[in-house]
Formats: sequence, structure tokens, C-alpha cells
Amino acid sequence: MSNDEKNITIETGDAGKGSSVIAESANTEELEERALSVFASERNEDMTALIFCLITTFLVLLFTKWMV
Amino acid sequence: MPNIKDHMPVIIMSGLLIVYGLIVQTGALLSVMKYLHTHKSMDLQVTLSLILGGLALVGALINSAKKPGNTIFDRFFLQPLGGVVMILIMAMAIRWYLEPLVKIMSASLKPVIGFKIYKVLNLNYVVLGILAGVVLTNSYGIPKFAEAGVKCARFVLKMGVIMLGARYSFAELAKLGVYSVWLIGFFVLGTVFLVLWLGHLFKQPKSMTGVLSAGMGVCGVSATVAVAPVVKARSTEMAYTIGTILSFGILCMFIFPTIGKLAGMSPVQFGAWAGTGILNSAQVAAAALAFNAVDIETLKVAEIFNITRVLFLPIIVLILATWFGKETGQTLSFKTVVIDKFPLFIIGFLLLFGMSSAGLFSPPSHYKGKYIDVSYNDRTQVTAEEWDTLNKAMTAGKFTSLKPAQLEAVEDLVKQRQIAGDYDDRNDKKEFDKVGRARLVQLQGVLAAAKAKQVSLSKDVKSAIKHAVKQVHKKSKTVVTLTDFMIWFFAFGLIGLGMQITKKSVTQAGGWPIVMGVISGVTKAVLSFFVVLWLVKDVVLN
Repeated sequence: MSNDEKNITIETGDAGKGSSVIAESANTEELEERALSVFASERNEDMTALIFCLITTFLVLLFTKWMV
Repeated sequence: MPNIKDHMPVIIMSGLLIVYGLIVQTGALLSVMKYLHTHKSMDLQVTLSLILGGLALVGALINSAKKPGNTIFDRFFLQPLGGVVMILIMAMAIRWYLEPLVKIMSASLKPVIGFKIYKVLNLNYVVLGILAGVVLTNSYGIPKFAEAGVKCARFVLKMGVIMLGARYSFAELAKLGVYSVWLIGFFVLGTVFLVLWLGHLFKQPKSMTGVLSAGMGVCGVSATVAVAPVVKARSTEMAYTIGTILSFGILCMFIFPTIGKLAGMSPVQFGAWAGTGILNSAQVAAAALAFNAVDIETLKVAEIFNITRVLFLPIIVLILATWFGKETGQTLSFKTVVIDKFPLFIIGFLLLFGMSSAGLFSPPSHYKGKYIDVSYNDRTQVTAEEWDTLNKAMTAGKFTSLKPAQLEAVEDLVKQRQIAGDYDDRNDKKEFDKVGRARLVQLQGVLAAAKAKQVSLSKDVKSAIKHAVKQVHKKSKTVVTLTDFMIWFFAFGLIGLGMQITKKSVTQAGGWPIVMGVISGVTKAVLSFFVVLWLVKDVVLN
């Protein structure tokens, strides 16, 4: 964030950390989205969910269909 | 251990979980569990409590002994641990205690108010989970130790949505007449586009419009949950949509049967109308039964229309993902819309839907893991006593009042001791299956006629036929297990999302979702009423 950029203070609510200072031009929707996730990006989150689910599906198939 | 004070709540929770697991293992809670009908999950309760309790204890002790770091182990396990454990305890309490209690209480209230509240208000783990989250965040607030864990909610919810794909199959659509698929498709897509247009007209956020369009167009709560991450809907918008759908559905449930009777609709017409116009599955069933409680035809048609609408979910998810990508994209190239903006987890949902349609989890014609198997099998036979009862009733001429096709099906049941095609045709699978399914339909007709007191059959005979019918209704263990995973993922995700719904965020959202929901709902109900009256005569099914 460069110094000549305008800053604004936002309320991040009870679940957040009170108030934060961000650049006026910042993508607030994206910031808000990330503040509600442990992942650094949407793609990481989706990819991890997909991989976990495929592993789960494989294990379920293994124990309920292929090994029975 | 310098930080032990900060992690004391997690240590206490893990201790409680371990103690609970041990108590359940001794069988001390068996009578309570039997009362709540949760005794079948006893092993799961023990395993989950002990594993989670153990992991939480180890994690809390590590957290107490070391300074917070920024490694993957810290970010994805140690920091969210407290919140994850808290939400899972809440999910367990809801699944094993609160939901069964609500079911029992609403069943006992049924004689007084005439319907089951938990079905009508959809008070299952989905709604109870959101409510629990909302209550906690607006009363005590989210405890500090749980803040990082709550941030896992959306991720876990996405896993639930991926798992949802395993429950549906494309082959189910093929069973219906092309005519009804067109009718439902028209209304599903019509409502989705109407809500999107209303959202544009009232200048509502894209996320709100997207989630409401899926909820109003497809199947209510599950569609809302599935589409919310696709259009990046806020928790408040999701809660608003679910609230709008359920309250609109309750109104329809009471109004539809009265209008249907006043308009002189046939059972098939009313079934088609209720299945198209009412969103929630339980509310569809309640309206169909209120219109015609004796003949199951209305309920059957309504359910088929309802199921077909649900099967449009993958298509709607695709449409909305593309729409949302296009609306928020900088340029409108194919790459931007479909590749960059398309949510990756939806590919997982479609992948599981594809696997399910290909028959990897269950025969391809299944719906939510349930399917009919009329193949010749010793295990699907009726018991020796049941066969004896049926044989004696047949010899004594107790079935003479049945229709010829029904009589033929009962005769064959006595001959083959199970519902199946002709043994001699067993190599021609298609013909064998067709004959077996036709016999099943006839026997279900016998039971319906007996229920409506059109034919008189003894209790033992009815019970024997019922058992034979039940024997050919199978459930895929794979889909049941995948569904269990989905339920836990949803329960976790929705409690977490509920925790993000504060009073402030609700007042900010305003009342527009309700206005849009009512306009689109009423339009769909009125249009489908006339279309059904005009087009649907008697034949809906193939």
C-alpha cells in the first residue's frame, strides 16, 4: 500500500478484530471473503475441498463396495 | 506450559468428549438413546467422541506448550482446533439429541395441531444448526479460542456440497415422461430467471439474487446451501432465503389443497401442481395428502415432480456459476467466465453426480441411494410363515375382489416366494426386470386398495405383501455412507455460517429478499396452476 493512497477505517464486527485500516481502492469483498476463511485464496479452498472429498469417496467405495 | 490458561476451554471440552465416549461405551445411556432412536449410532458416538476428544487434548497441550507459529500445521490444525471442536460438539448435540427431541415432540403434538411441526417448518439439522449458530453469536458471542475454527465453516460446507452430488442420478430423469420433464424444466428455469431479473430490477446484490433464484426455482433449502458458495452469498443472505422459502411454503401448504378442490382438479393434476409450485419436499407431501389422503396417486405424482425438480439442481448450479462469473468478470471471454471464475468445488459436485449417474455407487437408476432390485435372489424371499399365510388365503379365494393384474401379481408372489420377473426369462434381463417391476406396482396397488378399504384382506396377508414389497426396495451402503459424511459436513458448515449472522447484518440486508421471493413464488404458483389445468390430463408417467 503506497503512502499517497487514501485509507479508510472499517468495522470488522464482533467476530473480527474490531476495526481495520485499509486502502480506499481495496477490493473489500475479496478481503471480507478471505477474512472468513483459513485459506489464502478461493482456489486453494476449493482444491483442498475437492481433494478431501475424492479421498473420502475412494475410502467409502473401498470399504462399502470393493472390499465387501 | 505458559499458555495453558488460554487453552483451558479446549482441554475441558476434550475431557468432556472423552468422558462422554466412555459413558456411551458402557451402555449407561442406552435407554435414553433408544427413546431418541439414536441407538444405532452408538458405535459412531463412541468412536467420534474418543477420537475427537483425544486429538483435541493433544492439540490443546501442544498449543499450551509452544508459541503460536505460522506453519501449515499451525494454520490448519492447531489454530482452528478450538473452534472446530466446539462446532463439532454442537453438531453432535444437534444430530444425536436436539433433532430427535424435536421430532418426538412434534410427533406428540400432531394429534392436537394436525401436522408434524418439524416436517412443516423443516426443523432438521440444517435449520437447527443455523439457529444454534445465530443464538450463540447473538447471545454470548463467539469465544476467542473458537474464532479461527469458525473460519473453516465455508470450506467444510463446500465439501458437503461436493458430497451432495452422489445422491442424485441422471437416469432418474429418464424414467419420467419427456412431457413432465419439459414442464418442470420450464418452471425451474423460468423461476430462476425471473428472480435474477427481479434482483436486477430492485438493484439487489448479485449474491443475494443468485442464492434466492436457486432456492425459489429448484428445491428450497438444499439448493440454497449448494448454490451459496457458488455465488459467494453471505450467511445472512442464505438465512434470508431459507426463511423466505419455508414461510412461503407453509402458506402454500394450506392454500393449495383448498384451491385445488375448489377448481375441481383431478388427483394427477393436483399432484403435478403441488410438485411444481411448492418448494420444500415435506410441504409438497403434506399438501398432496391434505388434498387426497386415501389414494396415493396424488402423493406419488407430487413426489415425482418434486424429485425431478431436485434433479435440475446440477444444471442450475452450472447456470448460476456461469452467470455469476459473467456478472463479476472484467471481460466476457470464455476463459474468464468458465475457467477463471468457475468454482472448482462445483466440478467436484458434478464429478460425483457423474459417478453416481454411471452407477459407481449404486445401480444408475437410484435416487438418494434407494433403488428397486427385482432380480431372483433367495434373500429377498418372504418368510416360510408369510408364504403359508398367502398360500392359504389364495386357496381360500380371499383375493377374488382384486383386479386381474393384481391377482396375477399375488399368484406369482405365491409361486416364486418373492417379487421378481419370470424365472425362465432370467437371462433376458430387460424383460425380467420389466415384468418384476410391473408386479411390484400391482402389489403396491393391492396395499393401497386395502388401505382405502376397497378390498378386505387380513392383517397377516397385508403384512406378508408389505414385507415382499420392502424386500425389493434396496439401499446402497455406499450412498448411505457418503450421505452421512455430507450430513456432518453440512451440520458443521451451517453452524459456523450461523455464527456469522449478527443482528447488525440482518438489519443491513433489508426486506427485499422476501418481496422478491413472494413475487416469484406467487407467479410460479399461478402460472403452473393454469398450465397444469390446461396441459396435464391423466397420463404423466411413461
